[in-house]
Amino acid sequence: MNRQPPKWADRFLQWYCRPELLEEIQGDAYELFYRKATHHPRQAKAQFVWNVLRFFKWSNIKRTKRNYSFNSPTMIKSYLITGIRNLFRHPLNGSINILGLSLAVAIAITTFIVIDNQLHADHFHTNIDRIYQVTSYVKIDKRTEEWSDSPIMLGPAMLQEQTNIESFTRIEYGSADIRYKQNVFNEQVWFVDPSFFEIFSFPILAGDAQGLKIKNQIVLESSIAKKYFGDADPIGQSLSLKFREREKLEFIVSAVFERPTGSTLYPSLFLSMDSFQDLQPDKTNDWAYKVDGTFILLRAEHSIAEVKNHMGSFVRDQNAASHQWMVDEYHFRPFKGLGLVSHEIISSVSQGSQMEGLISLGVIASFLLILASFNYMNVTVATVATRLKEIGIRKVIGAQKKEIITQFLIENFLMCALALVAGVIISYVFMLPGFNALFPSNILFEFSSGNIMFLFFAGLLFFIGLISGAYPAFYIASFQPIEILKGKEKFGQKSLFSRVLLTFQFTFAFITMVGSFVFIDNCIHLKNKDWGYQHDNLMAVRVEEKDKYLTLRNQLTSNPNIAQLAGADNHIGKSDDKITFTHHEQQIETIDFRVGYNYLEAMNIRLVEGRTFTQTIQSDEVESVVINETFAKKLGWARPIGQMIEIDSMKRYVIGVVADFHYEGFYDVLGPAMFRVAKEDDFNFLAIQVREGHMNEVQEQVMSLWQNIAPDDTYEGFVQDDVFASFNQNNNAHVQLLTFVCLITIILASLGLLGLVFFNTTRRMKEYSIRKVMGATGSQIFQLMNKDYAIILSTAFILGAPSGFFLVNSLIQKVYPDPKGANPLPFVIAVSIMMTVVAITVITQLVRITKQSPSEVLRND
Amino acid sequence: MKGNYLGELEELVLLHVGILYPTAYGVAVMDEIEKQAGRSLNISAVHSVLTRLEEKGFLKSKMSDPTEERGGRRKRIFLLTAAGKRALEEAIELRTQLFNQIPKVALQFRLA
Repeated sequence: MNRQPPKWADRFLQWYCRPELLEEIQGDAYELFYRKATHHPRQAKAQFVWNVLRFFKWSNIKRTKRNYSFNSPTMIKSYLITGIRNLFRHPLNGSINILGLSLAVAIAITTFIVIDNQLHADHFHTNIDRIYQVTSYVKIDKRTEEWSDSPIMLGPAMLQEQTNIESFTRIEYGSADIRYKQNVFNEQVWFVDPSFFEIFSFPILAGDAQGLKIKNQIVLESSIAKKYFGDADPIGQSLSLKFREREKLEFIVSAVFERPTGSTLYPSLFLSMDSFQDLQPDKTNDWAYKVDGTFILLRAEHSIAEVKNHMGSFVRDQNAASHQWMVDEYHFRPFKGLGLVSHEIISSVSQGSQMEGLISLGVIASFLLILASFNYMNVTVATVATRLKEIGIRKVIGAQKKEIITQFLIENFLMCALALVAGVIISYVFMLPGFNALFPSNILFEFSSGNIMFLFFAGLLFFIGLISGAYPAFYIASFQPIEILKGKEKFGQKSLFSRVLLTFQFTFAFITMVGSFVFIDNCIHLKNKDWGYQHDNLMAVRVEEKDKYLTLRNQLTSNPNIAQLAGADNHIGKSDDKITFTHHEQQIETIDFRVGYNYLEAMNIRLVEGRTFTQTIQSDEVESVVINETFAKKLGWARPIGQMIEIDSMKRYVIGVVADFHYEGFYDVLGPAMFRVAKEDDFNFLAIQVREGHMNEVQEQVMSLWQNIAPDDTYEGFVQDDVFASFNQNNNAHVQLLTFVCLITIILASLGLLGLVFFNTTRRMKEYSIRKVMGATGSQIFQLMNKDYAIILSTAFILGAPSGFFLVNSLIQKVYPDPKGANPLPFVIAVSIMMTVVAITVITQLVRITKQSPSEVLRND
Repeated sequence: MKGNYLGELEELVLLHVGILYPTAYGVAVMDEIEKQAGRSLNISAVHSVLTRLEEKGFLKSKMSDPTEERGGRRKRIFLLTAAGKRALEEAIELRTQLFNQIPKVALQFRLA
């Protein structure tokens, strides 16, 4: 039987224990072990291990007695001077290195600021932790949607019945033509409860936000105030507001507020909820009417769960009043971080960025940073050959390995600090403004707190300093001085590490490039996607009043440049209604357009079968409907013509089917859509089909006509191409951003490659010279040089390209409903760009070899 | 006053080193404390206390002859120093003195 204590524990004890204490400690441990070992060998072993571990404390641990003198200020000064001199001795190499690193650092800084900004959005509200939005879970067609909208009665009712709510505010959008002297603009206004400014902390620049308690007072955002009043004091001034189909109303400006850059709420004008009640008296006491958002302020020290448990009666109240939209339950969304999940809420009041986007940005930035650091490391290792003598001499004079490591690390941190400074400048001057221009945003070069800024910069410096500097420092320090000084150190023979590193680098490069190209490909696909109708010869004007509509239409009918005219209640791409109806006990949700008789023809909507509305057929107005293909598919109709549906207990018969068309950008799946005939009284838009090549002319004519017809109203005409302008702008921004990322990746990868190829050709110069003397041709040497890189490149491609593809493809699948399928193009482009870059790099070196006379090289030895 | 202060565990170990004279070493002290005071300590804890007491000058130590049960290793034998004896006396005197000051009434426990 084994009566010995566990060997590993004993060895561990011997390893850590101070030699002068070892004997007694080990002795005691052994004694205790032997005492027990005869009867309980297993327990004895466990006890031995336990004792060894318990003895492992500071007072018992071996300490080295060596003295470190390297940290004397003189030496650090010397290291710095050597480092700077070395930088100036190889200015090209040094600046390429720093440039590469600083580009990556600038991207990292910019990305961090953007992400930091988004994650800390809305944090200027002092009550942010106590603010919640009440959203409604609405069941539609077997699935549940989360709506930002909630009953207008909900806020007041909750405040009355629940003691743990301090206050609430509702938000209801409205639209008004606002005039001050000669300036008329159409603006979105927010009707809110007076407690809005107690809940949210938008800074008040002038006046008093208490004004919201009084009817006919208005609160403006600072840029809006500037738009109307210039530099004059807006407080006490009067603005006239004209709501649709209402008389002009006068409002007094009571306060001006500022919307900080980190806000995910975008209010510009506030009116009091009382004004809304004056405008729509029938809606204010109706549980069926929904406002666009309800926010509550929880009392301090209370939890939202208490509120949640008492919502049942409000669900019943709402469902008793409205049968169309049945609410399952109310949900409470914390205002903190609401922006990040705003895409999950239908027509959310808060608008922030999606988490996926932020994560992708962060991943890209980290990739580039790692890429640049590897680059730097590779080039440092490669160029260390120039400093072998220095290291040898230092070692002979008495430098220890650790001191050499310290020297190189310090030098490296110096370079990284330079890169950091350059990175801050690049980020501040170019990248952040560039980003703000790309995605219209107004992110300032600032951090959410001083601590975060300090931690970020310290972490960044540490990260790049260590990643790029650790290996070279350790590698260099391990040289034997005698070998170096004898000239025997065959430096760089074991370049396996460099190759692995280069493979990694190119793998990263391929991941980034293939990923970007896949994404760009998808963006281009979306941009060129068929809208479902021809839209380039269309324009429309918003005309909300019947007499003005008729005047404008009549004046345009004779215009020879206009092919067709049609009125509509909703206009494709601008506005639509969502309705539900029941069909065979299945609840169907559909987009509902109410249009004039020849609207479908004017809008170039493609008819698939049946017919469109005809004015001469009287039944069309009351019981006909034209549906899109998805609608027919959804209801499972093989022959849709003549089918009947019932909407609001009115029978409607399908008379025509049109091809699917896009009505709301490309992020959402195309759903069922239908057209019904609307009365002229309800028209909001005049759609105009212009004859080829007369678009600008017609636009000007319409505008001047409008100014004569309705001098008080804002002119709101637009070409149909612009209805998805914000989508397209976003899309273009993505393309530009990713092209930029690709460019940087290629620059970084090729810089790294250049450094390495340069070094390798230098190392093998003698070999190439002999080959040349023996009669090798340029192309033979080219092949020889390329063999290595071909292997590295193909390995990197095999590893990187598929990962890049799958990574980005899964992202695309998540964001877009109808992505472009797999496509060989991104791979082909990535490979050909990389091949070109590698070829160019290698060829520059080949030129160097061919120009070099072999006798020069060989004579030197 | 760090040098003079005697902790509770230190006092206990110091007493036992005295009791075990002249064979007090780590394991023996540990065993004796368990036997007399009923407290089971880990050997490493005993070691720390012994080292600390030696640093304070209350104990001195020497190495014994090699012994078989320890795989031929020597023990470190601890002995009380004069300072150690005085520290013990002071501690005990202080306790007696304090105990005597407790009023009699406070010590009469009845079932109330």
